[in-house]
Amino acid sequence: MPTNLHRIACLVAAAVLAATIGGCATAPDRSDAEAYAEFQAINDPLEPLNRTVFGFNQAIDAMFLRPLADFYRLLLPPPLREGVHNVLSNLRSPVVLANDLLQGEFERAGTTTGRFLINSTLGVGGLADWASDFGLAQHNEDFGQTLAVWGSPEGPFLMLPLVGPSNPRDAAGIAVDSLILDPFGLLGTLNMDTEWMRTLSYTRLGVTIIDARSQNVEELDDLQKSSLDFYAALRSLYRQYRLSEIWQGQPPPGEEGPSLDDLPAIPVQ
Amino acid sequence: MMAFRLPMTFRHVLLMLALVLAAWVSPPLAGGAAEPVSGAAAQAVVKGFADEGVSLLEDRGASPAARAERFRELLKKYFATDAIARWVLGRYWNQLDAQQRVDYQSLFEDLVVYGYVKRFGEYTGERLRIVRTIADSDAQATVFSEIDRPAGGQPVRVDWRVGGRDGVYLITDVVVENVSLSQTWRSDFSATIRQSGGINGLLDTLRVRTAQLKADLGVSR
Repeated sequence: MPTNLHRIACLVAAAVLAATIGGCATAPDRSDAEAYAEFQAINDPLEPLNRTVFGFNQAIDAMFLRPLADFYRLLLPPPLREGVHNVLSNLRSPVVLANDLLQGEFERAGTTTGRFLINSTLGVGGLADWASDFGLAQHNEDFGQTLAVWGSPEGPFLMLPLVGPSNPRDAAGIAVDSLILDPFGLLGTLNMDTEWMRTLSYTRLGVTIIDARSQNVEELDDLQKSSLDFYAALRSLYRQYRLSEIWQGQPPPGEEGPSLDDLPAIPVQ
Repeated sequence: MMAFRLPMTFRHVLLMLALVLAAWVSPPLAGGAAEPVSGAAAQAVVKGFADEGVSLLEDRGASPAARAERFRELLKKYFATDAIARWVLGRYWNQLDAQQRVDYQSLFEDLVVYGYVKRFGEYTGERLRIVRTIADSDAQATVFSEIDRPAGGQPVRVDWRVGGRDGVYLITDVVVENVSLSQTWRSDFSATIRQSGGINGLLDTLRVRTAQLKADLGVSR
């Protein structure tokens, strides 16, 4: 295992290095107001580097992740996969709870606590999601969202090696969630010298990755097929989705969309 | 630490497919009766599109070419496709000459038509339920709807922006789980313009893509 991890780390480093040579996107001249405004709005100054990392991620995905996810879907029938997903969600409950509390969302914190208690017992370690049947619907929280609620800006778009679309705020969120707020993760990290704890930690990480990928097989395939520029479409989607998550599904009305004013004349029907 | 942290609700491209699902309940409107934009009219547009869309989806015997033409008719009847195409291009629209505009709008329509007709086979009997309608402004209303999945689980939330002008109502955007189809296209298209060296690069990309879609469907036009 350590050798493999080491090898992957080297690959990542090599890819990043190679990409850095590509450098940053050059900002258009300020005198071209429209182009400059667009550059600011896209907020992706590292685009050339990000695109290289995206290519690397896609290669890794095609070689390892996607085949693993396909095999996983072939091997396990949907109810079993749902059970695995439920166990992983249940293990994440403390992270969700901590972030509910940090955001001052006490009602949601209650829901998270109730879900954890019900699903850990009645649901047999989280396998079955009984809590949803009791009206305690699942929701997700992470420290990236908490930072957003606290007023931190997202920063420039980042394509992280192996992780995917992100930004400094969400990347910091992942670090805080996994290193500080996750008691099960912490337990594993502190007991890395214990053989079975190590196995358990790696197993959870591996299954989490395969579960996440297997949930998105059709979605990503669809997006890739329907977009002209997969990277740009994914970047847009990631931002819109995160905004929705931060606002608990009720984001403020964004910039204007298409309107009938754009039509020279209304066709008579 | 997840690779590609995209949630299930991301069936963004199911969008249009999603669009095409029937309405079985039409609850009373939530306010907006006295607004210049009629919520009832906006809702009727969404319901009309969903109803006709489902009958198109369920007619599995039709040839791809026939389906594409029927879908094109639906788009013309219910969507402000030209306005969407124009907005998607943003500031670049002004750089197009008259001929390029005509070409672009026709390619955009083809992309939508063939792209979604190709996915008609994924339809598994979903139904669209209109939840409520709200007038956003004098010229726009939003129709909120949900799509129930046959397999169960959380319904998918789909919001429809409907523009009204001179008594004509047309859909201007479809927003699935807060992901806007028009917004995503806009980012996608403007990136293509920059990456492929300008407007002609985009038009060429669209030509190649639509030709590929038509070939896949076995449609010549």
